[in-house]
Amino acid sequence: MSDHVDGPRSIGDPSADLSDLFAFTSPANSARTVLATCVFPSAGESAIFSNVIDHAIIVRRVSVTGVGNAAKFQAADDEIRFSLRFDVLKRDPAGKSLQRGTCTLPGGRSLEVVVNDEKGASTPEGDVRVFAGLRSDPFFLAWIVPELRKFPNLLQHDNVLIIVIEFDTQKLLEPAKGSLFGVCAETVPIPQPRSFIGHPVPRIDWVGRPEQTNMRLNNPAPEMAGTDDLRDLWNQQKPFAISKELQPLFLQRLKDSLAVWDMRDGKQDWTPEALAANASVFLDDFLLFDVAKSITDTSHLEIEKSTINGQPYQTGGGRTVDANVIDILITWLVNRDREFMQGGATSATKPGIKVFPYFATPNTTLQTVADSVELPATPDKVWALVGKFGGTWHPLIAKMRTTGSGIGELRVIETVDGKEIVERLDALDNGKRFYRYTNIAGIPASNYTGTFKVNPKGAGSVVEWNAQFLANNQPDLLVRTIVATLFKTGLESLKVRFGGPK
Amino acid sequence: MKKAADVEWIGPAATDGAIAAINLDSARCASWKRFRADPCRAGLAELILEQEHLAAQFLGDLDALGRMEIVADELARIDESSGRTALVEAQVASAAHRFADASRHLAHARLRGAPHARVDRQMLSVDQACGRQLNTVLEARRSIAAASGRLEDLVPLGAVLADLHRFDEADDIYRRAIVAYDDVSPFPLAWTCFQLGVLWSEIATDPDPNRATRWYQRAIEYLPRYVKARVHLAEICAVDGRLADAEALLVPALLSGDPEVSWRLADVLVQQKRGDESATHLCTARVRFEELLARHPLAFADHAAEFYAGSGGDHSRALDLARANLANRPTRRAAELASAIASSNDAAKTPCGVPFHAEVVV
Repeated sequence: MSDHVDGPRSIGDPSADLSDLFAFTSPANSARTVLATCVFPSAGESAIFSNVIDHAIIVRRVSVTGVGNAAKFQAADDEIRFSLRFDVLKRDPAGKSLQRGTCTLPGGRSLEVVVNDEKGASTPEGDVRVFAGLRSDPFFLAWIVPELRKFPNLLQHDNVLIIVIEFDTQKLLEPAKGSLFGVCAETVPIPQPRSFIGHPVPRIDWVGRPEQTNMRLNNPAPEMAGTDDLRDLWNQQKPFAISKELQPLFLQRLKDSLAVWDMRDGKQDWTPEALAANASVFLDDFLLFDVAKSITDTSHLEIEKSTINGQPYQTGGGRTVDANVIDILITWLVNRDREFMQGGATSATKPGIKVFPYFATPNTTLQTVADSVELPATPDKVWALVGKFGGTWHPLIAKMRTTGSGIGELRVIETVDGKEIVERLDALDNGKRFYRYTNIAGIPASNYTGTFKVNPKGAGSVVEWNAQFLANNQPDLLVRTIVATLFKTGLESLKVRFGGPK
Repeated sequence: MKKAADVEWIGPAATDGAIAAINLDSARCASWKRFRADPCRAGLAELILEQEHLAAQFLGDLDALGRMEIVADELARIDESSGRTALVEAQVASAAHRFADASRHLAHARLRGAPHARVDRQMLSVDQACGRQLNTVLEARRSIAAASGRLEDLVPLGAVLADLHRFDEADDIYRRAIVAYDDVSPFPLAWTCFQLGVLWSEIATDPDPNRATRWYQRAIEYLPRYVKARVHLAEICAVDGRLADAEALLVPALLSGDPEVSWRLADVLVQQKRGDESATHLCTARVRFEELLARHPLAFADHAAEFYAGSGGDHSRALDLARANLANRPTRRAAELASAIASSNDAAKTPCGVPFHAEVVV
């Protein structure tokens, strides 16, 4: 995956694990640039940011200092840094947990953000807008990479935590001084003033171009089996400043890996000199983008590729939300753009959106459980038993307490195995023999709405019970099983009382 | 002797425990979603087992064992004959303390071509849990820890040293593990602090409750939902007569459903002469222990034996469970537990025919 779970160490705290980095021109306003980075691959719906990590996006101006087999991109020393830190959880006035963060902008200004606030936060001047929160993972990988076999998107329905920074390009990047930039993102533990035990951890993760770690340095091809895993060592390097002592090690690994990539289709498309140039360019691992040129869904890596091919680059490179970066990369590595290699999917779970925050809403799966039973008794007779919201006809109920009456009535059910379930009546129609309720507690689900109704069926009746919910902190299957068992047990007991269908 | 670091200890920073617990649940649920879509995906079953293990170990989510079994069953249904499936089955069996099953699965894994290093590593954990060949285990643990220097390899080394009653060495190794830690997840740090608490409250022949208290407190600071740390610290508080403190530690942990929480809280309430409340919690503990024993008899045999030997009030049941535990894992602690229960019941002097391993008592 792009940089997902890219080393044994980053598995420790998934919220510090960087997965992707984006740089593109805002589709809503061409005068603004968007930088974004993702952490916490395969995050669940309740994921939040670590409070001890500095999440930074770092931009440096870059110049082309060599072309062809001498291709080289030189980053300047000065950096433009956006840094986000998040707090521990707080409760809002309604008692709901929320997380806030502070984005420190270039020049020292700061901006407060509330996690998952879709509108984000803007500076008073309006030149910078920031979002942080859960979104649908924009990355897609549709290959079984070790076998180079096409496969459906391996990240289908996944979510990630995303930081999006949109800003006025002229004001913050001053492109008149040079419009080509390199960008990296890093996660670094916030220095602790008082820590007597242990040692400061320099860096958890960083990312420039997609797949530096999982596909280039740690090439999963069988031919690379048995090589040392360099990913943690790489992740501890400083972006834009790979240790001089370690550069030969990483460069040799890149050369070896790219040579294996070249032969994945059985054909050699790269001369040794060009392959060395490609390795050298990838060693300087920053995502290149040029704000004076067009950044499109297909321009990713064009700057690097044209420069290695000895030609002036034509596009703004970068990486858009919808860019098919894996197929672009694999095509370049395997056949040097001789023939496009399309994986088993052409898009992520959800495409990007054209307005801030540009990344699609998180994926959720509403679960439905429905069951019914036909009874030989009339609907009114059945309703007389089951139509009372606080009734105790269900065999799994040991005790029932109710509070209030009518809409809003609460029932507190103590089940025979000692669990407590709290539900609220939301709608009631005795004439139509129907009620709707919300589960408040006791079932590991949120947004739980249940409906219960008795309809005539022939000379008898049919009792229908269904619920929709989002599983909360438990596997869907498990929660569905809990709910389905609850329904089945109750409906089966009615058969005993009224007799089965005739 | 107290070490300076015991007095002025400020450990490495880690992600806030509440955030880490939410994120563990979040990641675990996301993994299950992916598992249902593609149960054979490389590494996914193993990841779920790790996440479920964390949920059980730290959050007291004992239903995690059942969910782990679902993973193993699903892999066995899809590909019964693979080495990977056997490794997963072994891991699940180990988690449920079915060590004989685990050994059998590992033998199958080896035959089916699973990587020998992984088989050996899991076998080492089984041997250590069963108190088998502890000196050999020690050497292997030393070698692994020396090669990696990582916390996750140093803590098991500390544990085997503790099992061999080399307490100061174990203490040193645990502290080295904390120093070596290079991530921000609070789980490994909380685990190590908890191990230090157990070392000085339960394993050391000359217990130091104050020292243990400080380590348990640190474990809870890292991870407020750490159920076992809360229970162990509450026990110390209760022995010390600080009943309100013990109750304050236990009440928030009730939601976990771990029967030990209800049991210890019942004991604390009895001491406060709140008999009615105590009876409710005692009943909950009994019901929950029996539920768990019905599903995973060996995983909870030791704790349930202690429960029935104490306020659970059923010495015969306690002795049966302690004997089953000793037969399953003939460690020094298992033998001591069985012996103590037998003695307290004026039962036979030899608690059962299964001797604990001779090497343990060296």
